[in-house]
Amino acid sequence: MSNAANDSLTGNALRPHAATAWGRLAARMQATPRLSGFVLVAALLCLWEASARLGWVNSQNWPPVSLVLVAVAQGIASGELASLLLSTLRRMASGYVLGCGIGVALGLLLGTNRWLRYVLKPIIEVIRPIPAPAIVPPLILFLGVDDALKIFVVSLACFFPAFLNTLAGVETIDDVLLQTARTFRVGARRTLFQVVFPATLPMIAAGLRVATGIALVVTVISEMIAGSSGIGYYIIQMQYAMKPEAMYAAVLLLAVTGYLVNRVFLVVEQRFIPWLGK
Amino acid sequence: MRKLLPESWVARGVGLASLITVLLLWEMAARYRLVNPVLVPAPSMIFDTLVAILTSGEFLAPLAHTVLLFLAGYGIACLLGITLGMWMGCSRAAYGLLEPLVELLRPIPKSALVPALFLFLGIGKATMVTVVVFAAVFPVLINTFQGVRGIDPVLLDTARTFQCSRWRTVMQVILPASLPSIFAGMKVGLSLGVVLVVLAEMLAGENGLGFVILDSQRAFQVREMYAWVVILAALGASLSLAFDKIEQRAVPWRGN
Amino acid sequence: MNSQRRTWIKRGLAALGAAAFATALALPQQTMAADLQKVRVSIIPINDVTPLFAAMKQGYFAEEGLEIDTTPSAGGATGIPGLIAGSFDIVYGNVVSMLLAAQQGIDIRVAAPGTKIDTPEFDMSAMVVRADSGIKTGRDLEGKSVGVNTRNNVIWLYARAWIKATGGDPDRVTYREVPHPQMEDALRQKQVDAGYMVIPYVAIATQKPEFQAIAHPYSKVQLGVDVGQYLTTAKFLSDKPETVTKFVRALRRGIEWYNANRGTDDLLKIVSGFTRLDVEVLRKVKMSPAPLKVDPPQIETTMKLMIEHRLLRGPIDVKPLIAAQAL
Repeated sequence: MSNAANDSLTGNALRPHAATAWGRLAARMQATPRLSGFVLVAALLCLWEASARLGWVNSQNWPPVSLVLVAVAQGIASGELASLLLSTLRRMASGYVLGCGIGVALGLLLGTNRWLRYVLKPIIEVIRPIPAPAIVPPLILFLGVDDALKIFVVSLACFFPAFLNTLAGVETIDDVLLQTARTFRVGARRTLFQVVFPATLPMIAAGLRVATGIALVVTVISEMIAGSSGIGYYIIQMQYAMKPEAMYAAVLLLAVTGYLVNRVFLVVEQRFIPWLGK
Repeated sequence: MRKLLPESWVARGVGLASLITVLLLWEMAARYRLVNPVLVPAPSMIFDTLVAILTSGEFLAPLAHTVLLFLAGYGIACLLGITLGMWMGCSRAAYGLLEPLVELLRPIPKSALVPALFLFLGIGKATMVTVVVFAAVFPVLINTFQGVRGIDPVLLDTARTFQCSRWRTVMQVILPASLPSIFAGMKVGLSLGVVLVVLAEMLAGENGLGFVILDSQRAFQVREMYAWVVILAALGASLSLAFDKIEQRAVPWRGN
Repeated sequence: MNSQRRTWIKRGLAALGAAAFATALALPQQTMAADLQKVRVSIIPINDVTPLFAAMKQGYFAEEGLEIDTTPSAGGATGIPGLIAGSFDIVYGNVVSMLLAAQQGIDIRVAAPGTKIDTPEFDMSAMVVRADSGIKTGRDLEGKSVGVNTRNNVIWLYARAWIKATGGDPDRVTYREVPHPQMEDALRQKQVDAGYMVIPYVAIATQKPEFQAIAHPYSKVQLGVDVGQYLTTAKFLSDKPETVTKFVRALRRGIEWYNANRGTDDLLKIVSGFTRLDVEVLRKVKMSPAPLKVDPPQIETTMKLMIEHRLLRGPIDVKPLIAAQAL
């Protein structure tokens, strides 16, 4: 590891350790940097287990972590958690694709046509500052509590980062590029697809990444508020059914899902925009 | 530049006209009962309700509740995120210690943690502040970390050559250099924080704009509900405007 | 390389478009079963709706040609909004929400009876305090706090009415929203001084020596209160009166079955099925008999209580709100 010195940026190089057992452990922790972190996580989990087992936290709603893991295993074995998760992911994906698709398309259109921009941008700017949970209560009155509501809320939440980044991306395109296209008499549509879109792609990717982070959170929020299905509702339902271990199991599963969704996005991003290279 | 001035006036004029058109269409739709006016009140009626809420001072308590909760949570999140992010960026041991925990907590949809937090901290302000901290801290932390990592090594070598103390290096070299990245993270944290403060108020039901929106929906006071949503939107817009102003002050070299 | 990139982009865009289109198509479309008429019902996963599930289990609805499609709403907050938006045909809701909706000009109707507290013996929901708190009456609660699941709603209303009935000033008490499952924790951690607890949480909490039930506000304030009903819209009632009639007929048979089988294992299994509560927990619960009819004078009493506690601006004519089928 040639960048060992660079890893500690302020210049505190690795210090040699005494040859005691503790020193060796400490040295090992430095060598495999995350070991100490895993120890910390394990210690926190043990603290959780002990606090529930020994009654430091006296509550129905505080199960030991081991029971939560059992609930995860049971939920996976029975297929219940998987089907809930799938329904949540389906909503998330629908909302994400809709919101991002419309966001990117409008971003490109508004970026290349100033009259459209003048007309639509103010309307979008007026809606933008409304936080996602606040639009759920009014929307329930129109869209009910079915998937239409949840997908709409998610797509709205994903729309803004996709749209704004795309628009900003189009605005930063080098004028020379567009002038060249004009010089060569490239048609408007071809310019859009073959010049503007590729040049904007890194910014679009940035917008999509922000949307990825938001999508799952908002899906769970809409399932919690509007209820009736998905893993967000399951969390509330289990809370009411006095099965906190099942509730935490769902939270745990969501954490893993969030992590995986992010990974998948990074892989897809690298596949489609190889020149973004990191 | 001179040429652009009328252009921006055109933009504003058209934008204003389009907003007014939308409101007029909405007004007509409600007046002529194309939509159910109980569910979709005319903008003029919402406006009347809004004026009543604003002039009676009724908005002060919920607004103050939301703003204070948000500022407390967001402030803590920024301090915590920047400190931890810098620490993790500068010290390999800190990185190793905290990275697994951060990666474990970061992807949890924060809304899912609200019931668990209720238990630990009670149903009250502490919980809501914690929810906001949780929501906003990770974008700040990760962007700070990435900002620190992305610093030109030449800069650090220079600092070392000049024998700057560790503290001075951090405060005068690393912090300013990673500021643009930190602000990018703070911006994401800002919108997430606002989302979660509203959700927390809805779920904890004490006070605040989130609570009054949900409360008026439960009582089917649709006009009031829309009026409160407008107030919340105005708050969201002012927060992000204020943020942009502060960012321009703090990172002037970043340009527009 | 460049043309390859372009194809990728084109394909990506095409895929994006196709996916968006597919999603738009996949948005909810209710399909009708060929022989049975589907009725979409929003329920609250609590004991109150057991007769509905009993009637489903016994096949009473199928015999009427109805298929019941239930959607749970924890806490019931989304029931009536969903009804208004057309997600549901019938929702189980509480009397206070129904009257609030009616006051705002929403065309809501009571379609069938739900829950009624007419014997003190079966009124399990209670004002619970810490055993060492010394709180006995509403007067003792002045300057203190009471946990309710939702402010400005039915539990809140009867908590206030009880405080007033026992010598306290309800305006001098703070009301905190605490979800039912967390009421016990909130009491224990002294976030509230009293909590208005409902089934089944109240049964579990009051078994512990640290808590004590000091009153049962429903039966104390208004014995016979019609707490909840099945609601529908005036439009559904006039468009499909037959459906409502069939629904109520099958539900009544379910109510009779429920009243005859309260406490049996068969019934507990049904309750456990839709509430997800363990049967062992449910054994601790006394199940109140369900009413066969809606009781309009009781709804009027609740309405007056709502005016007194400033939930309603003025009186509402209750009679027209109640469908003939419910009586």
